[in-house]
Amino acid sequence: MITALNKDLKPFEDLITEFAREELKPHVEKNDRYPYDSRDAEIIESNFRKIYDLGFLGIMLPEEYNGIGQGISALCMMLGHVAEVDASYSLIIFTSSLSQEVILAAGADKTAKKLFPQAKTAQDYFISFPSFTNPGQVVTLPQAAISGKDYKLTGNLDYLVLGNFTNWAVIPAKVSGKQGYSFFLVDLKDKAVRKSAPIFSLGLHACPIVDITFDGVNAQLLGEEGEGEKYFNKASKVLHVATAAISSGIMKGSLKEAMDYAKEREQGGWTIVNWSEVRMILANMTVKSKAVDMCVAGTCQGIEAGIPDWGVYSMAAAIHVHEMACEVVTDGIQVLGGNGYMKDYGQEKRYRDARQVQALLGLVPLRKLSLIREISA
Amino acid sequence: MLTRSQVKSFISRYPDFRDEVLSIHYAPRMPKAMVKETQKIVALARKFNDEIARPLFLELDRKTHENPEFLPWDLVKKANEWGFYTMWMPKVFGGKGYNMPSIAYFSEEIGSVCLGIANVIGVHYLGVAGLMMAGNTRVIKKVMNDVVQGEKTGDPCLIALAITEPMAGTDVEEIELEDRGKITCHVRKVKGGYIVNGTKIFISMGRLSKWTVLYGYTNLKKSSENTVVMMVKQGMKGFTYGTHENKMGQRICTADVLNFEDCFVPDELVILDPERAKGFTKQKSRDVKMRHLDYVLSLSRPVVGSFGTSAARGAFEAALRFANEAEIDGKPMISYEWVQCRLAEMYSNVRLGRLAYAEANLANQHRGVYNILQMKPIYYYLKYLPLAFFNNVLSPLLTNRSIGTWLMSKWYLDGQKPEDQHLCTGLGSLAKFNGTDIGVKNCQIALELMGQTGMRHENGMEKILRDAKLLQIYEGTNQLNRINVFKSLIAPACPKAKIFEE
Repeated sequence: MITALNKDLKPFEDLITEFAREELKPHVEKNDRYPYDSRDAEIIESNFRKIYDLGFLGIMLPEEYNGIGQGISALCMMLGHVAEVDASYSLIIFTSSLSQEVILAAGADKTAKKLFPQAKTAQDYFISFPSFTNPGQVVTLPQAAISGKDYKLTGNLDYLVLGNFTNWAVIPAKVSGKQGYSFFLVDLKDKAVRKSAPIFSLGLHACPIVDITFDGVNAQLLGEEGEGEKYFNKASKVLHVATAAISSGIMKGSLKEAMDYAKEREQGGWTIVNWSEVRMILANMTVKSKAVDMCVAGTCQGIEAGIPDWGVYSMAAAIHVHEMACEVVTDGIQVLGGNGYMKDYGQEKRYRDARQVQALLGLVPLRKLSLIREISA
Repeated sequence: MLTRSQVKSFISRYPDFRDEVLSIHYAPRMPKAMVKETQKIVALARKFNDEIARPLFLELDRKTHENPEFLPWDLVKKANEWGFYTMWMPKVFGGKGYNMPSIAYFSEEIGSVCLGIANVIGVHYLGVAGLMMAGNTRVIKKVMNDVVQGEKTGDPCLIALAITEPMAGTDVEEIELEDRGKITCHVRKVKGGYIVNGTKIFISMGRLSKWTVLYGYTNLKKSSENTVVMMVKQGMKGFTYGTHENKMGQRICTADVLNFEDCFVPDELVILDPERAKGFTKQKSRDVKMRHLDYVLSLSRPVVGSFGTSAARGAFEAALRFANEAEIDGKPMISYEWVQCRLAEMYSNVRLGRLAYAEANLANQHRGVYNILQMKPIYYYLKYLPLAFFNNVLSPLLTNRSIGTWLMSKWYLDGQKPEDQHLCTGLGSLAKFNGTDIGVKNCQIALELMGQTGMRHENGMEKILRDAKLLQIYEGTNQLNRINVFKSLIAPACPKAKIFEE
């Protein structure tokens, strides 16, 4: 839908769909596993490098920082197509965009110019971020203490996306004696950083997540002390719709597999697509999926056109789309019956992934409440 | 104001008030000892949860991910030690004879910690129901004796039930669809028994069960009239296990493929045979099969409803723990109205799920297969008579080839009025789809409340979501169960309605 409304994105779409089909699809089942082992690093590194080589990790990053310089439409189109095949990689691309947006929102121009153009590898280019939280909602963030020109961080941070794999992270922490929280750039290779084993989570298994402990690691402040919330809100405002795009892609994948199965599987002497209740389930899935597709595309257009309250649309779209996605993936399994519950098919993975995507950027009810707070202010 | 006959007339008008609210009609008839007995069962389940299930369930789930071929033998042995596999078997067949409805409350308790463990215990009773509802007392005695001995010797003997086939899931659970389905498990009569060829899939605890209730068909085109139900034992020639299915959840309870290749099953292990049934009932073979299935599913579906309720409860309890511990803007999360309202909704779902399976239990107790056992005098006789009476008087009587089989067959095959059958199967389906839908719904609410905390395996919540989804599929998909509610409880008011004929 996004490309239908913006034909300029067609070359990007061709590139991303080919990548998803050729590079990701053959490995979806193999990559979706627990426990993680040394093979994971190889697989992730391989796909990660391809994503980096194609420029997907910097799709919205301005060209002056060695990015592609596209808008939210391009990012959402890309996230959707990848999620249709394996949403784990959408999380990687999303997190890369989120940490970049936070750095830029903090006005850390020097840092960005130093980091991204000089990066020689995907591990250097990708900046880890705790994408599943709104740092303002975390009760205990790491503590930052001034040490000469820089800061030292101590404490724990849970659920850092790809924290076991990349070289840099943007970390929220509290500066002693200051209100609010601040963002810091941390070198994850530093000996004062301890990483847990990858967390066994509900979904998105091909994108490992770890807990981090800081034992007085050097950290570079991004922007101003205590202004973290402002930077996060600015970055997330545009990227809420990106999470919706991931869910929309998952819904499309679920609907396609359900339709394909319903046309083949027989019950009571008919292919099940001919039973009216199955058709009704498929119709409900289709209505939700198509409406969501338009919702994401329209929101992207609105954001790029700078319509009034575009941030509200972005957040509302995300909340609504995630709800729809969770319903669609549940029905997606139901159409396949027992087969849908087995790992031989893709539906059970989508059922898990959709819930995990819904958890991006903090608790759902708090996102709803912040939406109404913004409108009523 | 109203005459007695007017009251009766208004009450019996559709929807019949006596069928709509079973609790007020039947609760007073419940023997008091049954309430105490149920409390004892719930207490035992809670003790098991504290000592076995809660310390183990996440570790066991993790092991099944690390090694998809992992088999929960230690857990099965523990359940066996605790006496769970004979708990709801009749005393006359060597079991402990606890009242059947109490298994639903037991399952809710265990399932609120781990649905997989609840099924490792509970699905044995699906096999027990399949065996019992065929009414062949000699085979019942023989198989149940193995279960009892298994408990005594510490070598668990479980019973599985095998009906689902690779190309027929819904079809084999609904008599109206069966003859149109692609059914493949063929049985052929030979001298002294049957030869079985075919495959059964998704058989819960299949490879951990010594005995399996197997559904085969002498005529694959007319399976509804030609169903032969038989007991097959592990190790029989021609009976092997195929793939260990890789499920999303309830992973500790295996789902197995059972292969039969020229497997000979002797006549003495056949428990339901359309030809032999003719000697005991005037009902047609198809009706006998339908009654058998209805009996089994009327018993099993309320328990699946209790599983669903347990998922709803597990999710509620996880969300409650989180809300009690978390803070938002420096205040306890639990003090916010929006949190309290979500928790109230989840709690309400649990209570409503429980009410639904309790109503289905009441239907089975007073209008269904074990109504005779719930009559106060019989209940108390069975509860307090010494074991010697069962062993020396009742058991020989029931296992006598002619008297026992005749008695059981009469009781099971002809003992229930069609309208009572509709009520029991309808309420079983209602409890099943309602309980399992609210199970998934509560998981969704809990995950939204918990965010990334809910995503982590170590916190247990994400496992409940994975486990709960299966409940909407097995024992008939929730769509099939909705149609069964229409067929059993609503269609009588719709003369033009046809079922499965679009």
